[in-house]
Amino acid sequence: MGILTISRWELRRTSLSFSRKTIAFSLLLIILTGFVSLYVSQNGFHINDGMYRVVVTDPALAAVLKTDYKFKVYIAQEEQANELYERGDFDIVVIGDKIRYHRSEKSSSALDALDKAVQKYDEARLLSYNDLNNTFPVWITVKNIEREQAFGPLSIQKLPEIEQASRATETAVPTETPIEVSVNDKSPAPSAREVTEAKGVLPGKEKTLATPSHFNPPVPFKSVVLSFIFIFPVFFIAQFFSASITQERVRRRGELLLASPVSPWQIVFGKLLPYLLLMLVLMGGITIYIGGNPWMLVILLPVALMFLSTAFLGAIISRSFKELTFILVFLSVTLSGYIFLPAMFTNIHVISIISPMTLVVRLLENEPVSIGEYIFSTLPFYLVSLLVLMFGIFIYREEDLFTQKTIKSKLLDSLQVFIERIPAPLFFLGMALIPLVYSAQLIFIVLMFNLPIRYGVVIFILLAAFMEELVKSVGIYTVFSRRMTGITTRNALKAGIYAGTGFFIGEKLILMAVIAGIANSVFGSVMGIGLLIFPFILHVTGTTVASLGMRYLGTGKYLASLMLATAVHSAYNLYLIRGVLFG
Amino acid sequence: MGNTLLIAKKEMGSLLHEKTLVLAIIIQLLIASFSSLLVIGLASFFDPGALSRYDMEKANVGIVGGGELIQFIEKSNVKPVYYSELKHALDDFNNNRIDAVLVAPPADAGGNEIIELTLYLPKSDIKGTLVTLQLKKPLEEYEDFVRSLRAPRIRFEPVRLYVDGTPKKTSTYFEFIYGVLIPLLVFTPAFISGGLVIDMLTEEYERKTMDLLLVSPVSFSEILNGKMLTAVVIVPMQAFLWIALVSLNSIAVHNIGSILLLVSVTAVIIVLLGAIIAVKYKDRAISQYLYSLILIPLFLSVYLYANSPFNLVARLSADAAGTEELIFLGLYAALAVPIYIYAKRVQKQ
Repeated sequence: MGILTISRWELRRTSLSFSRKTIAFSLLLIILTGFVSLYVSQNGFHINDGMYRVVVTDPALAAVLKTDYKFKVYIAQEEQANELYERGDFDIVVIGDKIRYHRSEKSSSALDALDKAVQKYDEARLLSYNDLNNTFPVWITVKNIEREQAFGPLSIQKLPEIEQASRATETAVPTETPIEVSVNDKSPAPSAREVTEAKGVLPGKEKTLATPSHFNPPVPFKSVVLSFIFIFPVFFIAQFFSASITQERVRRRGELLLASPVSPWQIVFGKLLPYLLLMLVLMGGITIYIGGNPWMLVILLPVALMFLSTAFLGAIISRSFKELTFILVFLSVTLSGYIFLPAMFTNIHVISIISPMTLVVRLLENEPVSIGEYIFSTLPFYLVSLLVLMFGIFIYREEDLFTQKTIKSKLLDSLQVFIERIPAPLFFLGMALIPLVYSAQLIFIVLMFNLPIRYGVVIFILLAAFMEELVKSVGIYTVFSRRMTGITTRNALKAGIYAGTGFFIGEKLILMAVIAGIANSVFGSVMGIGLLIFPFILHVTGTTVASLGMRYLGTGKYLASLMLATAVHSAYNLYLIRGVLFG
Repeated sequence: MGNTLLIAKKEMGSLLHEKTLVLAIIIQLLIASFSSLLVIGLASFFDPGALSRYDMEKANVGIVGGGELIQFIEKSNVKPVYYSELKHALDDFNNNRIDAVLVAPPADAGGNEIIELTLYLPKSDIKGTLVTLQLKKPLEEYEDFVRSLRAPRIRFEPVRLYVDGTPKKTSTYFEFIYGVLIPLLVFTPAFISGGLVIDMLTEEYERKTMDLLLVSPVSFSEILNGKMLTAVVIVPMQAFLWIALVSLNSIAVHNIGSILLLVSVTAVIIVLLGAIIAVKYKDRAISQYLYSLILIPLFLSVYLYANSPFNLVARLSADAAGTEELIFLGLYAALAVPIYIYAKRVQKQ
């Protein structure tokens, strides 16, 4: 078996590059990391230490404020304090029990911080009475009930076409997830300092007080932080994989392998296999260590594949080490954002299952995960990784590996190989790139949550349309710019219709399978649910616009043609959801 | 010296040519936007006041029972719907007519028992979060009210302070922008430069061009200095760009000079560490791996103590700094000297 032989070589080579000195040094660093995190877990983070300067006249109040590191507290006499207030060097001046502040951003923030510090202090004192009936008289138990979800985003009208879809209302089964209620007796009285520190800077630490002031939305902060550990082996091993590929390119050792009868895809999979296995072993170790569920590995597998395949493509297309580092960092930042941000909203909105990490978090919280959810959140990862690997393998050949071509021309090379090898290439290219569009659009959704919903939807539509038009026309661009056919109006029309139809059919097939999960969100409807004939015309028109644009403006003005197609495309989508925007 | 500058110029040229700097800036932008989404998003959840600038739809909350709680609910942002029985309320809840059900026992605020409320929320639904945010205030007021009746029994006196015309503004944004965002933005270039200098050096080793360079009239220490100089110089430039960008958003950044100085000092230390690793190990994969391993404890310790570089930048930018901060700036600069001496010794080997 060619693949296994190559795997064995690869394993031996990588383990050889680890000298004893390296191992000793990394162990030292890991121990250091352990010490630092131990220190952090005991002392908490110091964010905004000494941010506010406060003058008080009452020494007792000074003692209260000193429990919060954010304040630099000074004690002064009354006249002196008034003088200091006039000079404006201090954010807050408290004379007796009267607060004076300035009309600045910082001063009013200081006021709020002071308010919180005093509240925290009072609460700590109340706790020390050890008499909950009189000190914390109101408790809340939260019961979460599954019910058919209406429309997600705030204050948005329902879309007409989805509104008509009648939904069967299921009978709700109450599932109890009470906020932990601590027992009344035998809680030892903590000192003020202990309580302030226990509730430190990190929000969402284990709640023991289920009172109104501790009543917060269910953000699974701890589980998300825990799940973050999984990213380290993935990140490091993907780095080694890409390094191995680049090293071969730089030292030109790969030439021999390419000349051997083993096919490129066997070489690539053979090289990838040991790294994938190593990742799984390490993640398995972590799972056992944190006492997780073995299903987590099944969820993390596509994540591992995604990191490896993108690292592979990065190593193939970069020209230098610097470029590789930046491409890898860029990819890891984007991927981590895509994986972890939705996980924060695990219990808040269904859309969070676009990330596999949400499922890991749910397992960590001992909540079930269904097969449908698994498919929904991991299918894009599987498809995109395979696609990325495929396009990488296309240019795993001498003329691309050992030359200094630009990234763009290498990517075009790989598209060209696709077009040469596959029958009806324009039709299938659009279809094959759909997972990429789908993932990119999901990243856009994640980013759009940052903006007010109305702007978010509009910008999302523009970006989504741009992405779709790009994918549909990039094949045509390759064909025209590489002179694979004559650039005639007839060819342009034909190519536009082909690519548009291919994309349309692929989109409908894939979306039918996966969209169900988020179809009741406004974003979902923009992604392609609707009557079938109009989207079909839309896709073909958009691509034909881009294609004709290239015919008449020249392939040099590809971007302009693309913008034109995007404008047409987004105009239609904006019309479709006009009710949401202006209603 | 001339040769050092020559090397630096060559490296700068290749950075600009490969557009790596552009990619670096996009990376930093992504990091910044992810972290602000995360922190602002989370902060809003834990501090409903932060969300008050968005006008939210009033949530329909079914109330069963109630007693003295009702007067606080009536004043609040939620729209109460009253029910006599839990069953009817849950029916309406399941049919999406109301978004939550609050059950209050007929307990007396002045009594002795703990008042246990039960709240039914839709699972994994943003409506549930909305209700939580809107109910928090009336429930807290109710808690205060009950406590004010009961706490005197155990002779508890809260700390009381008075203020005129409170502008109820949350400190979340201010503390995030100065305490987290600005330090993160100005220091990320330094962390990136450490990786950059490793790539510059190991590339010469792996492509075997280092030997060619060494037979030219340029000395090894000049090559090293030239590469480190490039990696360091671009750091304050990027930091300044971020400060300018932040200022455009009408966020006043104070002490820009001191901040850039501190950032440069940090960059010198980190780039020196990167260079030492690269010269010692000569292999890119291993060097980058070790460098990333160093970055983890380094990142964990940025908020470890009050005078960490991140906290210094936070106070400098928010105009909360005095002489203490300048002393620490000097200390960090002094720290670079032994590292530089060590780097010199490594390069001679």
